[in-house]
Amino acid sequence: MAKIEMTVNGKKVSHEVEDRTLLANFLRDQLGLTGTHIGCDTSQCGCCTVHVDGLAVKSCSMVVGQANGAEVLTIEGLANGETLHPVQQAFSECHALQCGFCTPGMIMAVSGLLKDNPAPNDEEIIQGLEGNLCRCTGYINIIKAVKHAAVAMK
Amino acid sequence: MSTEFKGRREDRRLITGTGRYTADWNQPGQLYAVFLRSDRAHARILSVDTAAASAIPGVHAIMTGDDADIAAMKNPPSNVTWEGRGGMKMNQPDRPVMARGKVLYVGEPVAMVVAQSAHAAQDAAEAIVVDYEDLPAVIDLEEALAPGAPQLHQSVPGNLPFDYEWGDPARVAEIFSAAAHVVRLKHVDQRLVGNPMEPKAFLAVYDATRDIYDVWSSTQGMTMMKGSLAATTGVPPQKIRVHAQDVGGGFGIRSNAYPEYCAVFAAARRTGKPVKWVATRAECFVSDWHGRDFVMSGEMAFDRDGRILAARYDWIAAMGAYCSPTGANVHTLTPATTSVGTYAMAAVHGRIRCALTNTTSVTAYRGAGRPDIAYMVERLVDEAALQLGIDPIELRRKNFISKDAFPYTTPNKVTYDSGDYAGMLEDVIKVSDWSGFEKRRSESKARGKLRGIGLAVFVEPSGGGRGTDPNQAMIKFGSSGNIELFSIAGPTGQGHETVFPEIVGRELGIDPSLITARIGDPDGPPLTGLGTIGSRSMIHHGSASMLAAREVIRKGMDHAARELEVAAQDVEYAQGNYRIKGTDRAISLVNLAKKLGGVAGVHPLDAGAGMAHTSAFPGGAHVAEVEIDPATGVTEVLKYYAVDDCGNIVNHTLLEGQMHGGIMQGAGQVFGEHGMYDKESGQLLTGSFMDYFMPKAGLLRDIYLGDHPMPSPTNPLGVKGAGEAGTTGALPTLMNAILNALRPAGVTHLDMPATPSRVWEALRKAR
Amino acid sequence: MYSFTYTRAKSLAEARAMLAKDHDAKLLSGGMTLIPTLKQRLASPSQLIDISRLAELRGIADKGDCVEIGAATRHVETSRSDVVRQKIPALAHLASQIGDPQVRNRGTMGGSVANNDPVADYPAAVLGLGAIVKTSQREIAADNFFKGMFETALEAGEIVTGFSYPVPKRAAYAKFPHPVSGYAMAGSFVADTGAGIRVAIVGAGPGVFRWKEAEAALSKSFSVAALKGLAMPSAGLSNDLHATAEYRANLVEVMTRRAVASLTGEK
Repeated sequence: MAKIEMTVNGKKVSHEVEDRTLLANFLRDQLGLTGTHIGCDTSQCGCCTVHVDGLAVKSCSMVVGQANGAEVLTIEGLANGETLHPVQQAFSECHALQCGFCTPGMIMAVSGLLKDNPAPNDEEIIQGLEGNLCRCTGYINIIKAVKHAAVAMK
Repeated sequence: MSTEFKGRREDRRLITGTGRYTADWNQPGQLYAVFLRSDRAHARILSVDTAAASAIPGVHAIMTGDDADIAAMKNPPSNVTWEGRGGMKMNQPDRPVMARGKVLYVGEPVAMVVAQSAHAAQDAAEAIVVDYEDLPAVIDLEEALAPGAPQLHQSVPGNLPFDYEWGDPARVAEIFSAAAHVVRLKHVDQRLVGNPMEPKAFLAVYDATRDIYDVWSSTQGMTMMKGSLAATTGVPPQKIRVHAQDVGGGFGIRSNAYPEYCAVFAAARRTGKPVKWVATRAECFVSDWHGRDFVMSGEMAFDRDGRILAARYDWIAAMGAYCSPTGANVHTLTPATTSVGTYAMAAVHGRIRCALTNTTSVTAYRGAGRPDIAYMVERLVDEAALQLGIDPIELRRKNFISKDAFPYTTPNKVTYDSGDYAGMLEDVIKVSDWSGFEKRRSESKARGKLRGIGLAVFVEPSGGGRGTDPNQAMIKFGSSGNIELFSIAGPTGQGHETVFPEIVGRELGIDPSLITARIGDPDGPPLTGLGTIGSRSMIHHGSASMLAAREVIRKGMDHAARELEVAAQDVEYAQGNYRIKGTDRAISLVNLAKKLGGVAGVHPLDAGAGMAHTSAFPGGAHVAEVEIDPATGVTEVLKYYAVDDCGNIVNHTLLEGQMHGGIMQGAGQVFGEHGMYDKESGQLLTGSFMDYFMPKAGLLRDIYLGDHPMPSPTNPLGVKGAGEAGTTGALPTLMNAILNALRPAGVTHLDMPATPSRVWEALRKAR
Repeated sequence: MYSFTYTRAKSLAEARAMLAKDHDAKLLSGGMTLIPTLKQRLASPSQLIDISRLAELRGIADKGDCVEIGAATRHVETSRSDVVRQKIPALAHLASQIGDPQVRNRGTMGGSVANNDPVADYPAAVLGLGAIVKTSQREIAADNFFKGMFETALEAGEIVTGFSYPVPKRAAYAKFPHPVSGYAMAGSFVADTGAGIRVAIVGAGPGVFRWKEAEAALSKSFSVAALKGLAMPSAGLSNDLHATAEYRANLVEVMTRRAVASLTGEK
């Protein structure tokens, strides 16, 4: 067992958990932040993507100790109160989600991508989505949403 | 109908991480279930030793197939209620909820541990010692039906639970023997894994004081989930409440209760505590029911002028080690339904033998028999064009069922509702600049690339699922005049919460934002019907919503007349108002509802309606242009054009979403998806996203969608269903394009998936 | 996952001491391979010693004729480093092709090289450039470091601390990603170094290896034309459900040609 302290969505949290706890499970089970989804066991689907110290990572592939002391941003903390983040807004307006299960991870990956590259071209968007799977949309509207969000964030 | 898309009602919660999927629900004091699964394809269970596992701290219960509660559960009946070849009845083998005496496939549940934490349950499952005696296994479909094959079930001789035959064998044989040309093909239509992004999960709470079960599960419809849980566990459906707020994808594999759900259900009763089970992706791979998996031979007879005379099929369809309730249905009757495709021919004959193998069960997966038959028919027509030296467009034009022939009854007695196949073809060859292709091919050739163009014109049956109960919807009014629409459609991303109120709003002539949709609400009125399967929810639940709105208007007429102090025949309804004909005097529906009030949740304007089961026949004409790099075998899809007839269009943006997703899932099968078993060990070789190809961003970049709606007379909305059309079109379209690109290099045959490696090998062998 | 304890090492010396005391302990860097392995219960270490934040293992330094990179440097840092992009653009490019963005944000060079997965990308650069692998106790030349599938010259308790990459005259990496996993199905790192031409291949075989015949051909004439007719033997290459050995051999040839072409401007 270890005491884990971190800042999640701007709030300091502290919990005693088993060392083998994954960051994704810590967020879901200890903090009740179930917007971070777990869609696979092999780090391929990206449904669990969150930002740790500003970088998009797969929270199912980190033990919680690795994020001890870190700043963590999850999908629940992305909007500014009632005001949606431009990527969230664009996903809805472009119908870039259907079942919505991959969506939180997808949005966190895209917001990470746009931080690094505010005006990605198609090729860069496709590479930026390499770590996220979606089974519903065929990605067509996701790519469209990334472009819309990029324009909105200018 | 909707002109501007501003997002769906579902979206807000889903983009802010506040949606609730099954694994997101927790109950106080809940226990966690973990399954121990067979690691071998076929073996006798000599013993299961749970002593060490039971001793692990936190373990509450360990159940196996021999546990009395589990053993008492029954196999849900097959959907196949009709006769097969020679009057054969569906011979469904018994499926235990967990293995009893024998395991028949890798991944079959052998024991379930229920413990205080998921870690403890997993530790205990690993401590269970199972002693097996291996038996010979059979994986290959043709081998399974061959004499001397290992037999899976004593009750199913020859591993053949169902042998289906349709059409007129004698007539077809006669036509074939006299035909000027016969074209033959054999293809493998590989096994797929559905892989909705939400892994399956189940949470069961048993309230002994009320004898009620509350269950949370990812499902394509609460009535179907309730029905199959009840059929297996013996608990009456009215004692089961199904909760499914958000479901992370379905694609056909989530119609029925999985065996694990039933075991967890029993564990909740046994332990008296809520029990939660969340599958890993690895478990989903071996225990979610799979899709497709056919070996298909087909032949088509032509006269001297290229007219299609008849078609004949001989297929084997995989069932897995046990039959899923739907597997034998969608693998026989569904492909048979449109086995003449879009073509007028004199006769058809087909046979599909269902084969049991030591593999995971097979069920409906997006398309569910439709892409399979469309693939066979459209490959045969393309092959015929080549062999007969007729342009593939000309050959199709010559043979289409004409636009004036609807309703059209096929030689196998299926009635297509409406269609315009020639018109769709003209649309798609125009937008795709088909005639300019040879020039583009030369340009590619100059760059060392092989360019190909492919076409498919298809029709498919929508409205899936039979049943005698109508599909019901109900509109209820609150005392403030607020309107609630209740539906049991089981959305898994289709946007029902948004589009059904649009339908009701349009019918009532009021702003849809005044209507709240409560879909799959266990506290709603009891409604009958099926969920979201077989491209049916708009036809059935959409139409039922519309009919319920009409019923509201009808019921309000007398009340409005009383309010307006005139006779009912003097009142008309338009744009949300009851009006005295020829005057300005009116009362709005909302105000009328407010005035009428209503007590104890019952309002005089509450109205329900049902839509009887029906079928429509959407179709499409698709074209794909591809470019292959012969050095690496990589295929790039340059452009995909889809012109579709989905009947009337209710919400264009949602339709586009269905088409994109459907086409992409077809592309997934064409370019890589493959549930591949090791033929010796029976292990699933592609059991994770490291080995199982999933379409990623960029696989298809540019999809043109064109509408060619021919309203369906089978339902009041005039819709046809759109969930599966993209997939149905994509298989033949893309494979015809790939073969068209490879033909000049000497490749004449290629099975899916057209992975870079397989394409390169085909080119190498043709050299 | 089986139970283990997690400790963040405060210094390299402490990490070494912990490893020496507990033979069942494992080093944790980015964790991109180790954690999925633990999740599948394929390993059961007693403890994880996190070395990813050690200052001794971090940083990218321009040393004139070589570039030194700390073992805990993340792929994203290598791919975006101005030093790497100026001095060895092929290495920055290779790093930008590893896995996916989330993996590049966590995974480290030391972790990847020490693991020596035959389908990983970094071993191609280490061997192709003839780099020096620095460890807690010595320096190992790339040619002596890789010992086949998941095997290296590292001894028990030895920790990779960094790499010294000689700056080549020119170099390029061409990769054919596995259509499913995104790992290299074949990757060819071609370098024109002060000490001759080196061609290192990953993905296709049971471990990174040098394609000596291609090196000889390119030494005579550094051109795609020089590779004409040069066949990569398929014997010994991986043959599995995803691709035949023959296909992989072909990819090695094609990727090598493409790497050279990107440097010579040939087609």
